[in-house]
Amino acid sequence: MAVLLLVWVWLAAAVFVVACVARAWRYARAPVHLRWDLYPVAHEPAARRAYGGSYLEEREWWTRPRERSLAGEVSTMLSEALLLHGVWVNNRRLFWGSLPFHWGLYLLVATSAGLLVVALGGWVDWLLPVLAVSGGIGGAFVTAGALWLLRARSTDRGLRRYTTMADRLNLLTFAALGATSAAVALTADGMPSAAAAVTALLRFTAPVVGPLLAAQMLLAGLILFYLPFTRMVHFFAKYFLYHDVRWDDRPMVAGSAMERGVKESLAYGVGWSAEHIGRGSWVDVATAPPPTIPGKKP
Amino acid sequence: MIPETPAFRSQDDVLRFLDDHQGLDVDALLPLPYPYHDWRDAPIGSLTADQQARYERGPDGVSALRIPKPASEDERTEAVARFLDGLRKLLTRENNWTFLQPLMLSLENCVQCHSCSDACPIFTSTGEAEVYRPSFRPEVLRRIIDRHLKPAGGLFPRLRGQDVALDWDTLARLAELAYRCTLCRRCAQVCPMGVDNALLTREIRKLFSQELGIHMPELHESGTLKQLATGSSTGLNPAGLQDIIEFAEEDIREKTGLSIRIPFDVEGAEYLVMHNAGEFLSWPENLQAFVIILSVAGVSWTMSTELLGYDSVNYGLFYDDVQYARIALKHHQVARKLGVKKMLVGECGHAHKALMPIADRLIPRDLYVPAESALVLLEDLVVNERLMLDPSRNDFPVTLHDPCNVTRSMGIVQPQREVLKRIAPRFREMEPHGVHNFCCGGGSGFAVNSSLNFPDWRTRVSGRIKFRQILEAFGDAPGPDVRKYVCAPCSNCKGQIRDLLRYYDAWDRSGLLYGGLVELVVNAMVDVQEGFLEWELH
Repeated sequence: MAVLLLVWVWLAAAVFVVACVARAWRYARAPVHLRWDLYPVAHEPAARRAYGGSYLEEREWWTRPRERSLAGEVSTMLSEALLLHGVWVNNRRLFWGSLPFHWGLYLLVATSAGLLVVALGGWVDWLLPVLAVSGGIGGAFVTAGALWLLRARSTDRGLRRYTTMADRLNLLTFAALGATSAAVALTADGMPSAAAAVTALLRFTAPVVGPLLAAQMLLAGLILFYLPFTRMVHFFAKYFLYHDVRWDDRPMVAGSAMERGVKESLAYGVGWSAEHIGRGSWVDVATAPPPTIPGKKP
Repeated sequence: MIPETPAFRSQDDVLRFLDDHQGLDVDALLPLPYPYHDWRDAPIGSLTADQQARYERGPDGVSALRIPKPASEDERTEAVARFLDGLRKLLTRENNWTFLQPLMLSLENCVQCHSCSDACPIFTSTGEAEVYRPSFRPEVLRRIIDRHLKPAGGLFPRLRGQDVALDWDTLARLAELAYRCTLCRRCAQVCPMGVDNALLTREIRKLFSQELGIHMPELHESGTLKQLATGSSTGLNPAGLQDIIEFAEEDIREKTGLSIRIPFDVEGAEYLVMHNAGEFLSWPENLQAFVIILSVAGVSWTMSTELLGYDSVNYGLFYDDVQYARIALKHHQVARKLGVKKMLVGECGHAHKALMPIADRLIPRDLYVPAESALVLLEDLVVNERLMLDPSRNDFPVTLHDPCNVTRSMGIVQPQREVLKRIAPRFREMEPHGVHNFCCGGGSGFAVNSSLNFPDWRTRVSGRIKFRQILEAFGDAPGPDVRKYVCAPCSNCKGQIRDLLRYYDAWDRSGLLYGGLVELVVNAMVDVQEGFLEWELH
């Protein structure tokens, strides 16, 4: 069992990292796309951001230096990540489940990071009790949030139709992870055992753990295995959705990497089959004589 | 709106539900305020038996596309195979570099929280009819991809919620449903993830157009194809344009006392002015107002007689990247050939987006001519007093409709307001407005579709919330005794508002007139005889 746990956790962590990096890489290396910005854009200066304005409100905008507000972008991102601002404003009924769920996960991740620090030999005396508190609260929040969301997805007529059995199992798994995490944190020798287990894992030796901690580690591993293949990767995908699409208002500049990328894309062959498309590269089809109107002589 | 039944549980049930029902219940539509408290809508017309035999319908009984019914089972099967081919192409960089990244991100990261639902004017106007939920169409697409394109897609279908049958009926309904969204992007604006259901809807439209040749005829055959062949989606050729211009010069002289010659093909001018040619035919006063303003202010400008140079329309924006690229390139070639410094985009929302942000990442810089919004230039002329204005000439209630493409998709919000503040003393906002506005209901090409029962749907359903907003903005003077002006600086929006006011009998019931911004500016110009706005021509 102990050896299985060792393999399980390391394999899960490896799959998680590789799959997340692969997915992020797939998003990042996608070709430069046509602009699809959406206002308000967070890095516009504060005065404009307040009403959703853009630099296109200026005459000869292409000749003027562009002001970008890093503070606007950072504050928007933080209020989204930490306070779920968008959910608060636009979906209050889910907010009350979503906020504890996310805060709980943040606390559990922080607790795991703390256990790594302890395993590496740091601040054991005072850190373990702190981790017991963060793990306990985090676990309780995750469980409460997951059950709240499960209830909402089962009782709301609209949400129910879009909630698959896999979604329900996922929330139940998180609820179980939260419950076992809280239970481990709240038992007397829970956190020292957890720290010892992390130390063993780091040394590639089989961790000796009780049934509760073993269940917690199995559940955590399970989630790490499947999470990168689900829509829950929004914890990093959201970065691309906002920065590469919604807030991407960069105009193309002559000779820039962006222009080179667009020119490369224009050389791709067009494989669409509808009659009006034609054959050749994007440049070829865009510059070809116009297709005829059905029923009219060319 | 659409009744909930025990059998109405899966996405597939929703897609097929109305086969046995009578369509939308207009009594459940969003109620309207006084003087429409007693308004009764006529039902949305059903297709005739002959039409039903010939054309596919959406799950709401409406037909926007007039998709011919396949003649045989083989045709149905072949269409499904082609759809799957197209779906694969949609997910490749070669065929869809234009939107691959936004497509992947929005396809793969929706958590189905339904924050978008309450933001959708169509979903809310219908009392939450499921087929109009902003996430419904994308979810059908997602489930088809999950089942048919992903490795091991057939495993555990119930666990993964794969409840959509892939057959011709599903595809026909999905194609129709892609034209029940105006692409206004309010849903994307409120999504905490940044997922854009409007983009996904446009991708569905693209797939049907670029692979199966299924599109709204008004956008394709009577739109982009006609524009590429004749120079304009209106069918207006350069000779016809000459007649229009002569008429405009004469009309300006009669109405204003100003003798102005409209400049054409002036090489090296500062601005090439790009109008939606629909204005020339439906709202010639808009063209005339531009001519007056630019001439009186002493702006260096020209129009073009080159094919496509006199029509800024680019309906490709709504449904087809290839058609979009063809027209955008032509527009830039015309401007380049004339050697103008920049293009000025007239009062047309989608032309703004097509010529400015979207073309920005498509046209290499050696072929590119930058473009500026007419709203921005107007603000400059008005604020810097390059026009002599008497706002008391516009002493009637005015409200502003924000075109989605100009505000939400481009962030041009304040210039039009700065102008109105100075020319319309009784200006008031709609709520919400600016980047949070509601679509007119005619967006993404809907305004030009007047076939079968689609106009019924467009006036009762997609335009409902906008009409309510207009009435609420004039809540202090609701009756016909006070004439009021709905300022809509966009040709497509004007087309939709015209149809709304007509359907709701709004001149007689509420004294509502609509028009653009430049007409209101000219109406206030002291250089011009009074009475440029022609209320009697409502």
